[in-house]
Amino acid sequence: MDNFEKHIRENAAKFDTHRADSAKMWANISAEIQKKEPKVIPLWKRPMLRIAASVVLMIGIAAVIGLYQYGSASAETQYASKELLEIDMYYQDLVSYQVQLVKNNPNITEENKAEFLSFMDELDAEYDVLRKEMRKNLDNERVLEAIIANYKKRIELIENLLHQLNESKKPNDDYGYTL
Amino acid sequence: METDIRFTHQAIVEQCKAGNASSQYELYSRYVDAMFNVGLRFLGNTEDAEDIVQDSFVDAFNNLNDFKYESSFGAWLKRIVINKSINHLKVKRIPVVPMESHEFHLAEEEPLEAEATDIEKVKRGIAQLPDGYRQIINLYLIEGYDHVEIGEILEISTSTSKSQYHRAKKKLLEIIDGM
Repeated sequence: MDNFEKHIRENAAKFDTHRADSAKMWANISAEIQKKEPKVIPLWKRPMLRIAASVVLMIGIAAVIGLYQYGSASAETQYASKELLEIDMYYQDLVSYQVQLVKNNPNITEENKAEFLSFMDELDAEYDVLRKEMRKNLDNERVLEAIIANYKKRIELIENLLHQLNESKKPNDDYGYTL
Repeated sequence: METDIRFTHQAIVEQCKAGNASSQYELYSRYVDAMFNVGLRFLGNTEDAEDIVQDSFVDAFNNLNDFKYESSFGAWLKRIVINKSINHLKVKRIPVVPMESHEFHLAEEEPLEAEATDIEKVKRGIAQLPDGYRQIINLYLIEGYDHVEIGEILEISTSTSKSQYHRAKKKLLEIIDGM
């Protein structure tokens, strides 16, 4: 760079001799800015909000993925537990009906009732465990069989109880007739 | 030192980013005259210069979030004004570089050494330069860009910028000598 260039660059400020009509120009500028202001974009450009937005987005994506997977999984469970559902529907009504019968039966002593109901509670607990197992091992035949066995045991228990009751009644009747 | 320049007016700029109107006005007041002079040098008339500078401020305030302190705010704003001015000249088909066939001048550039010249003379000399010569002289001597930056602004190669500047400087010196 020669002296000519250096001298001009050093005195570049001397070329700024004009003054702008500042007030008039600002009026136009501020009108333009206000027109565009409701865009609200700056809000999203704030770093904290950016982070917040990405977190929300990540949660959203995770939820969608999760829902999708859970959704497909639950469809499978639904399919696999169709049998279970049928089993439940069939036995549950039967069992609850018979349990009600036992509870309402005046011929059974309170002691027997309590014993019977504690057996039932045990079987209920076992049933819950099996259901959980069922959720883990979808479509597991052995678990299904165990559930059925659980129900059958309950029915057997009730039947035995009712049978005992009937048995105890019989001799009286026979006695009556033989008389 | 360089960092200091880049972060000049950082507090005001940050308030402007947040949409503070009085800070916007403060920033505007600090730079409007300088920017008006830049526009005037390129466009040659007050109306166009006012329009371009207004547009540039509106753009700058609307896109302030893109300003990341890679340069000073003034340099960033000036670049907007210059880019808009050059585009305006191109739209009006006013040549921004001396010749279309830039690539044909070979290495016939003899070194051009000149002594420091009276600034007023230089001003009058620049005013008499034909269109196309004035822009590159302004960019290099007064705005202080290097040839790489001028290449980007005028969309020409660095070597073209050098040779065109050389040509323009020669012309300017001839005009000044003839005064």
